[in-house]
Amino acid sequence: MSKFTRISVIILVLALAFSGIVFANGGSEKADSTAVAKVIVSMATDTGGLGDKSFNDGSYAGMKKAADDFNLDARVVESKQQTDYVPNLTGLAEDGSKVVFGVGFLMADALMEAATNNPDTEFAGIDVWVDPSSAPKNLQGLLFKEQESGYVAGVLAGLMTKKYASVSDRLNDDNVVGMVLGMDIPPVERYQAGFYAGVKSVNPDCKVLSVVTGVFTDQAKGKESALAMIEQGADIIFQIAGLTGIGALNAADEAGIAGIGVDVDQYGVAPDAIMTSAVKGITQATYLTVKAAINDKFVGGNNRVFGINEDATGISPYHNWNNVIPADVKDAVDKAIADLKSGKVVAPASRAEAGYEG
Amino acid sequence: MEGILAILNTDLLVATIRLSTPITLAAVGATICERSGIVNIAMEGIMIMGAFFAVIVAYYTGNPWLGLIAGIVAGGIFSLVHAVATVSFHLDHVVSGAVLNILSFGIVRYLMVLFFGHPGTTDPIPHGLAEYQFAIPGLSKIPVLGPMFFNQTPIIYMSFILIIAALFFLKKTKLGLHLRAAGEHPLALETIGVSVYKMRYLGVLISGLFSGLAGAYLSIENAVSFTEGMSNGRGFIALAAMISGGWTAIGSFLAALFFGFADAFQIRMQIFKVLPIPSEIFIIFPYLATVIAVAGLVKKSRPPKADGIDFMIEREDA
Repeated sequence: MSKFTRISVIILVLALAFSGIVFANGGSEKADSTAVAKVIVSMATDTGGLGDKSFNDGSYAGMKKAADDFNLDARVVESKQQTDYVPNLTGLAEDGSKVVFGVGFLMADALMEAATNNPDTEFAGIDVWVDPSSAPKNLQGLLFKEQESGYVAGVLAGLMTKKYASVSDRLNDDNVVGMVLGMDIPPVERYQAGFYAGVKSVNPDCKVLSVVTGVFTDQAKGKESALAMIEQGADIIFQIAGLTGIGALNAADEAGIAGIGVDVDQYGVAPDAIMTSAVKGITQATYLTVKAAINDKFVGGNNRVFGINEDATGISPYHNWNNVIPADVKDAVDKAIADLKSGKVVAPASRAEAGYEG
Repeated sequence: MEGILAILNTDLLVATIRLSTPITLAAVGATICERSGIVNIAMEGIMIMGAFFAVIVAYYTGNPWLGLIAGIVAGGIFSLVHAVATVSFHLDHVVSGAVLNILSFGIVRYLMVLFFGHPGTTDPIPHGLAEYQFAIPGLSKIPVLGPMFFNQTPIIYMSFILIIAALFFLKKTKLGLHLRAAGEHPLALETIGVSVYKMRYLGVLISGLFSGLAGAYLSIENAVSFTEGMSNGRGFIALAAMISGGWTAIGSFLAALFFGFADAFQIRMQIFKVLPIPSEIFIIFPYLATVIAVAGLVKKSRPPKADGIDFMIEREDA
């Protein structure tokens, strides 16, 4: 039996080595560009990884832009599972990175640990709330008022689903809209609460459905959740579920109804179906934080909140729907944005505040 | 109560079929594999390989049918690693399966960087198999059963045929009898001059082809792109389906249907808000159902006698 055990161990090690090849490969590519010892900035993605056409890609875009503008070496490491967070963050700090980004709410604890253990490196967490009373001075949380983006998208959806449904054959008269959620975490809940409030502000009778899938990487589950709501008459599906939501948007496209993307402009996922996307300025926030860090102006131990007044929340262009959406609706959306900016309307940040049971 | 009744409609059953198809395929394949005496816990990894290669080929050729073939073949080839390790090299079956699961994630990640420049999710393929949904004339008009079984997408139809084929193969063919003998009493089989190794290779290969097809279903029929880890534990649920299905093709199918139903049901429970329960409870419902099914039915179901037991022939002339 010991022979078999030995063989198994050898194979296991080979398997692990194979997954390591990606690392080595990625590293060697970057080695060429570091010949002139550039300042390193880096990020560890959440499990969704790059190519999520959502917040991981958005953060990376911001870092890339900063790297191009300020001649930096931008590095990225992907987290395969949640246990990778701390080793990835620590590894990037040990590589000599000036600032390390942890992307995603789920990284909060890992960032605390990594920042405490690496006091000479700056850390920033996207969607991460940092407790000012206990956080180390080299850790900053970057938060967004997702409820504002959700609210604006909700106003659009609330008007289009009933009052102006005749403008597109993708819309019906049932007065139902749906949301597909990933994990039920605060940024997701803020989008949900804002969207609900936005819909109700213009269309109090509208039925707003939602399904929590509990996962950010399961396209099949996202699709089924969307289809189940479409069966109930939903004609606009708002996805707040990362890659799970890609499945939801595909379902909307196949069923011939409308979809609303999330975090970044997701128009490309289903050009005919997607009316707009509820976006947040992750790219902008990442860029500004990198800029502050390399100029030694990074101040940690606190949170920075980006909202509609910083132009960090709102919705993306209408693209193919630009000629479909009536001017009245566009005016109402612009008014909602103005009201949020002036403080006349405050979008609810939780289901409790919104009075939503879903 | 009215809410519950509203949930129980044809749509729920159609969704059940869609959600259970990948589990069904992997579970029926695994049944054949374990009947030959090889324990297979690598369906998760094989599905990932199948899903990935289906997308790669469908993406570059623009033809989802070629992608479908690629997914099946990739699953078959990858499963042969398990066959070589367990049958020829006499490695512990569970260890080999676990290695395959880990290996698949590494390989796919490496190839994603190679082909798409980044891990995560691939670009969408130009055409998916969902475009080829067709209703069988006449039969699809039957209430309830029509939409469930006769108005579906290609791989779902294939899964129905494959369940019947697997059933026939195991029960009615000589090859099937030999394959089962390899899992029940390998020495007796070898004595009558049939190679146990060959039967076990065959069992593993069939399971690989089935799981590869299950992967292709997830990536090019149900979706139009590949996401790392997109099988999300369905390979392990398939394992549970096979066990609670008593190592039979029909049992595996019924168990997979049950798990698909549990998932479709919980989604609708959330939408209709029938009960004031936090969403977390709904999310774990399918998994809870799995645990209960395995724990409750496992006593009655019996694995093949020589399942997971190594078979080594010593030839004098060798």
